[in-house]
Amino acid sequence: MTVGFVSRDLVETREPARTLVELSDLTKTYGPTCANDRVSLTIARGEIIGLVGGNGAGKSTLMRMLSGETAPDSGTITFSGKQPAAGGRYHAGEAQSRGIRIVHQELSLCDNLTVAENFYLEAPEGANGMPGWRGIYRDRARAALEAVFPNAGVNVDEQVSNLSIAVRQMVEIARALTAPGAEIVILDEPTSSLALDRSQQLRAYLRRRAAEGLAFIFISHKLHEIMDVASRVVVMRNGRVVWEGETGEASVARLVSLMGGDASLKARREREAAPETGPGRPMVRLTGRMRENKSDEIILHAGEIVGLAGLEGSGQRDLLHGIFSGSRDAGVALERGVTASFVSGDRQREGVFPLWNVLENISVTRIAGCSGLSLVNRREEIAAAMPAAERIRLDTGRFRSGILDLSGGNQQKALVARALACDAPVILLDDPTRGVDVAAKQDFYAVVAEIARAGRLVIWYSTEDLEFLECDRVLVFSHGRINRELTGDAIGEKAIVDASFERAGDGKEGAARTAQQTHSRAAERLVESAPFVSLAVVLAAMAWANPTSLSPFGLDLLLSPALSLVLVALGQMFIIGGSEIDLGAGAFAGVINVLSATILVGQPGLGVLSIAALLVIYAGLGALIQARRIPAIVVTLGASFIWLGIGYTLQPTPGGSSPEWLTAIFSVSFPLVPTSIVFILVTGLIAWFVNRTPVGVALRAFGNNPQAMARGGWSPIRYATIRYLFSGLFILAAGLSLTAINTASDINSGNSYTLLSVAAVVIGGCSLFGGRISPVGVVAGAITLSLIGALLGMLNVNSDYNAAVQGLLLLVILAFRALVARGGEDE
Amino acid sequence: MTRRNASFSLADWTARNRWIWPAVGVLILWAVLSVVTSRFSLQSLSGVAMSSSFLLLVGLGQMLVITTGRGNIDLSISSVLTLSAYLALILIHGSNAMLIPGLLAIVAMGVAIGLVNAALVVLFRIQAIIATLATGYVLATGYVVANRYIPGFNIAPALHLVATQRVAGVPIIVIVALLATAATAFILNRTAYGRSLSAVGQNLRAARLAGVRTGWVIGIAFVASSTIAALTGVLLGAYIGGAFLEMGQPYLLQSIGAVVLGGTLIFGGSATALGTLFGSVLLILIVTTMQIAGLPPGTQDVIQGLVIIVVLALAGGLSLRRAGKASRTPTDAGASPAEEGVSD
Repeated sequence: MTVGFVSRDLVETREPARTLVELSDLTKTYGPTCANDRVSLTIARGEIIGLVGGNGAGKSTLMRMLSGETAPDSGTITFSGKQPAAGGRYHAGEAQSRGIRIVHQELSLCDNLTVAENFYLEAPEGANGMPGWRGIYRDRARAALEAVFPNAGVNVDEQVSNLSIAVRQMVEIARALTAPGAEIVILDEPTSSLALDRSQQLRAYLRRRAAEGLAFIFISHKLHEIMDVASRVVVMRNGRVVWEGETGEASVARLVSLMGGDASLKARREREAAPETGPGRPMVRLTGRMRENKSDEIILHAGEIVGLAGLEGSGQRDLLHGIFSGSRDAGVALERGVTASFVSGDRQREGVFPLWNVLENISVTRIAGCSGLSLVNRREEIAAAMPAAERIRLDTGRFRSGILDLSGGNQQKALVARALACDAPVILLDDPTRGVDVAAKQDFYAVVAEIARAGRLVIWYSTEDLEFLECDRVLVFSHGRINRELTGDAIGEKAIVDASFERAGDGKEGAARTAQQTHSRAAERLVESAPFVSLAVVLAAMAWANPTSLSPFGLDLLLSPALSLVLVALGQMFIIGGSEIDLGAGAFAGVINVLSATILVGQPGLGVLSIAALLVIYAGLGALIQARRIPAIVVTLGASFIWLGIGYTLQPTPGGSSPEWLTAIFSVSFPLVPTSIVFILVTGLIAWFVNRTPVGVALRAFGNNPQAMARGGWSPIRYATIRYLFSGLFILAAGLSLTAINTASDINSGNSYTLLSVAAVVIGGCSLFGGRISPVGVVAGAITLSLIGALLGMLNVNSDYNAAVQGLLLLVILAFRALVARGGEDE
Repeated sequence: MTRRNASFSLADWTARNRWIWPAVGVLILWAVLSVVTSRFSLQSLSGVAMSSSFLLLVGLGQMLVITTGRGNIDLSISSVLTLSAYLALILIHGSNAMLIPGLLAIVAMGVAIGLVNAALVVLFRIQAIIATLATGYVLATGYVVANRYIPGFNIAPALHLVATQRVAGVPIIVIVALLATAATAFILNRTAYGRSLSAVGQNLRAARLAGVRTGWVIGIAFVASSTIAALTGVLLGAYIGGAFLEMGQPYLLQSIGAVVLGGTLIFGGSATALGTLFGSVLLILIVTTMQIAGLPPGTQDVIQGLVIIVVLALAGGLSLRRAGKASRTPTDAGASPAEEGVSD
């Protein structure tokens, strides 16, 4: 095997000056599947290459190799006119520096950031000139959007999550196309959500930039767009380039047949030769919501293969899941006793159990149907799986192999065997042949036909229109409804495409989402205002219970214990921003409390040194968690024992004293305003400011979309370390404040802050799933929690109940939020 | 070639039987202790066995929760344990007659707490750590209050017998723990529930689509965990002859530690009861060793924390390799470049 990365100053090609990069004989295999088989491609300046091919043809693999995300097994990538960078091996960073940019099919924006901040992530080097760095990116974003999509009117200060899918795609495209240093831009299905006029604007822009010398690779299933914009077309099929030529020599029809239209047609003819039987008994009725005309009912029978067609995301999957769960509100009614089993093409996420062997993967559905304590017997298991496996020609000798050792096609067979091994008469297929090679696909089609003949109902959603030729009946979806029903000879690619687009009227796509969006925005506002409302309520209750508590002196007295919690909570906020939780936060504050009240008093030098050492260890935990991908909860819980242990060793019983300078700092008095309020405001401001610096933006981006960040060349380990460092600094300050305020130390003084800090962050409106951070809310939440203790005291409630009240409050808020956001996040 | 196969199958065997590592650890540590101290005998071994038994019991419950996957951990265990020890003092009040109704009430409490945890996690989709951390806090108030009402440190004779006596030289509590381990192992390996639990822990979405009743499976794990913790609290109270506020504290980290040391995957999907047994013994042996060595309590805490972190960091590599293997299947479009680099 030769993996080479060569760079030559002069390349002997037809037009040496224009060639940018030459891919030759690139091969990449994944297990038994050859994703790319000796693929060669030359990309020259000023070209727009239209790259087409069916799903699994190898386009994405080729592009990932070009952009350095995947290393080829063999073959070379040769750049012309530039010296190779040091280090030899070709990787994503190298591709980036050579001007390769990619617009991913799955969007890589961080939706918790503004449009302008997302532009920063693409090209961070412009932010050197602090402050005012935002202005640079705001201007850049505005200019980029205006250049590519004139008059789009996108607000660059809007958070991406508030934008429609179409606008997000526009931002993503504009960001990659205008990135400084871009030479070759790969656009993977860029127009899938764009309205027609925006797509035209994009194509016009591409032509203009190509004339200036940029090169583009345009991947799309919309063949008429390829014909419109490309200067050259490359057709891939089964991991090979099967045709390459000027656009003038191609036509949509020709491209379709090159992509592999014929093969499936043949299969269909074979199938039709099979003996026809009458319709079986009815099994599923589709009513109401699914139909434009509500009285129309579609009845699906046993023995049928029913295809669900239409543009991706038009409601086909909703129907499958509706049938699976038997829920009536999806417009589905199952006949009595009818159950369904589900076979997903997204095997990794929805199909296989990676720790199990093939046999266990097959039997899971049958076994899950039994009552919990019924016994599992190996012999019975094999006996039940054997007929199913034999029927679909899955090698039963491989029952004991790990499921992941099988090829994609065989894994798929195992999943079908799982469905067959139980008695469910309806089999739901969710794009089942994704990532399966062509030979295995033909095999699979035959299996499906046989299953239907044996009397089951097969409902088949596919993203490959050609697969519908295998069906007896096709329901074409558009905007969540069944728009057309095709049967027999009427089933054809053209008819399906026509019906999918019939009501499409490109622009409407955004409208369907707005209702859902206004709902989520109202919920968001509710979450945002929660900390301030609860703070106001608590303050009002205190004023009612004891009017003097709101005097400047009273406030100072009440709020000075709150400062430490505010600091720990702000530290916790950074960790939760990375969707982790620090269970050692309170203990860390405690150990700093002890250190600063003992060693720091007697030997300031050693004290500073040891505190710094602890901080380094704390930040190191972040790196360890990230590098080994281990759960932060257990690591920080383990660390909490280390902090407590150190504290006990230094000071077995409470005691110590505060260094004079520390006491002095915390007892500075300000005119008019109570000291504690000033301190709380200052710490809140610092956290707010950190959050808005470029580093803070990057941290939030990691919390939201770590995969996209890693793809963009950001180092996860470095930012995990920085995250824990920031957090550690805030908690360190909390420990010092404990020393100064109590003028003594106790290793247990911080313990209660662990839960309270999590609660404060949650009340403060931050998401436990990372990325959404609100320093001001956290400060308000922390003050509220800390005042609740004082309020209970005023109301003569025993302080023993504090923990219960605070714990219940946290649960109530979380439960309430779960109800508000119902249906939002799923696992 | 054959040699390579032999070594491969050994690696395969240890990967499937991860309990072997803590077992080897126990043997080595015991051997070292016997040689170094010469006082360390079968006598002290039985002390270790008794302490391990309490840890093993709560560890088994914790193991079920961890196996439900996605970082689920039951942090309320220590509070349940303490609270039930206090309730035993109040309800049973040292009389055999009150033993059965008292135990029933405590078991009911354990089930109720488990149901609350399960509802928070399954219905309200609150992360398990946060939900159980919060319920643990609420329960802590419960035992702080209960502390004011205990009538005295009387233990029912029958309970005292179970917690402290021996049958043929073997402490009854050890037999109880071993039986519980065997039962758990049986459920995990031989029943439909065990299969479903593993499926849920490996891949929740896939489990639901394969027809597993995921909510029930997860809920039962939480109920089992807090019920076992409640019963263990009663036994532990009987063993130490009372109850005190911090009695549950060590079990928070140690229950997780025993499970992780035992080779159960921290990300869920694969559990080993035998491993948790050896993990518990190993952890208690480590603590005993530190006590024999005369290390101060603070240092003991530090070392326990370190052991957990180091074992996790090492085991993290195990699941990484699994993930790496998974990412080489053709379905995965986004295999990370780092792992690709390792693979060729």
